[in-house]
Amino acid sequence: MNAVVLDGFRGSEGQGILAVLADALAQAGYATEVIALREKTIAPCLGCFGCWIKTPGECVIDDDGRAVARAAVRSDLLVYVTPVTFGGFSSELKKAVDRFIPNISPFFARVQGETHHQRRYRRCPSLIGLGVLPQPNREAEAIFKTLVEHNALNWRSPRTAAAVVALDGTSDVAAIARGLIEAVAR
Amino acid sequence: MTEKKALLLVGSPRGIEQSTSGRLGGRLLDALKGRGFETDKLHVHAAVRSPDALASALAAVAAADLVILSLPLYVDSFPAPVIAFLEKVAERRTGASSAGTGRAGLFLLIQCGFPESEQNATALAIAERFAAEVGWRWLGGLALGGVETYGGSAHEVLDLIGKALAEGRSAPDLAVKKAIPAWLYRVGGNIMWRRMAKKNGVAGKLRARPYEGESTG
Repeated sequence: MNAVVLDGFRGSEGQGILAVLADALAQAGYATEVIALREKTIAPCLGCFGCWIKTPGECVIDDDGRAVARAAVRSDLLVYVTPVTFGGFSSELKKAVDRFIPNISPFFARVQGETHHQRRYRRCPSLIGLGVLPQPNREAEAIFKTLVEHNALNWRSPRTAAAVVALDGTSDVAAIARGLIEAVAR
Repeated sequence: MTEKKALLLVGSPRGIEQSTSGRLGGRLLDALKGRGFETDKLHVHAAVRSPDALASALAAVAAADLVILSLPLYVDSFPAPVIAFLEKVAERRTGASSAGTGRAGLFLLIQCGFPESEQNATALAIAERFAAEVGWRWLGGLALGGVETYGGSAHEVLDLIGKALAEGRSAPDLAVKKAIPAWLYRVGGNIMWRRMAKKNGVAGKLRARPYEGESTG
C-alpha cells in the first residue's frame, strides 16, 4: 500500500509532525511519499472546466499540479497535513486540492442525499486530514473535521478520518497519527 | 459627512466582469450606493500575483468599513488564492495597532455548482472564523446553490441584504427560491456536460482515466 502525504506548510515548521506521521505510516506498512507543496509550482485553478470537457481527466495547465493530482489518484491513502487556517486548509494545501477536480467526473450523482460528482476512477484513496494549531481551539477543530469529511464525500474516498494536533505540548502526535491510520484501515 | 467604504473582493478566477461572483457582488454594491457608501471592487487572484498589487489591495482592505467577499465554492472552501490573500490580511493584522476608525464588517456571498445551498456551510464557517481571528464583525452570508437557475430572484434578496448592511445590521437570513429541483439540476447538468464535450470533440472521452496506473495495493 502506498500513502501520499501533502505537506501544506509554508516553511519547515511541520517537519517534526511529518516525521512522526511518516513513522506511523511505515509501521502500518505504507510506502510513503511526502510532497512539500511549497516547493511545487501549482497555478490556481482557472475554473474553466477544461479538465472535464476539453482534456477529460487532466488539467489544461501544464505544471506540477498535474503530477500531484496523478500521485493522489494512484495512492491508497491520501494525507493532508496543514496548519489549520481559519478552520480550513492553508493556501499551500488548497492550491493542490483545487487542482484535484480532474480526478472526478463532471457527471452528477446523488450521494448521501446531496448532489456530488461521480467517480472517474474505479478506486479512490482513503483520506486523512491532520491539522495543526498553535494551541487547541475547539471551533477551528470542528470546522476542520467537517471540511475533511466533506472533501472525502466529494472525492468519494472509501474511508476518512481527521484530527487536529496542538503544538503547545498537549497533543500526543504519535498516538493521534496511529489512531487516524487505524481509522482508515481496511 | 464622509461616506463609508464598501469593498467587494471578487474571488473567482474569471475576474470581476466575467464571473457570477462579480455580477452578484456588483448587485450588492449597487444596493449600498446611495445609502451612504462609496464602493470599490478588487479581483483577489490579481491581488496575490505581485507584491505591488498585494500591498495596494491590503491598503484598500484596511481602509474599508465593509468587506464583501464574493466567490464560488471550491472543494467545500474558498479558491486557494482567496485563502492566500486572507492569510496576508491576518498576518498584517497580527501585531498591528488598532489605529483604524473601527472594526470592518465582513459579508460572504458564496455560490456553488451544486443545487443545494447547504453545501456552502463549511465555507461560511471558515469566513466567520476568519472574521473572529482578525477581529472583524461577522455580518453573515448569502449561500446560493445552482445559481445559474435562479433568474432574477437572487437580485431581490441582494437588495434587501444591501439595505440591512447599509443600516449597520447583520444581513437577514433570507432564502433564495430555487427555480428547479435538485434531481432536474443533475439531469440537466449531465446533458450540458455531454453537449460541451461534443462541441470540443471529446464526447467519447468524458470518462477517460489518464492517471490510472499499475495497482499498488
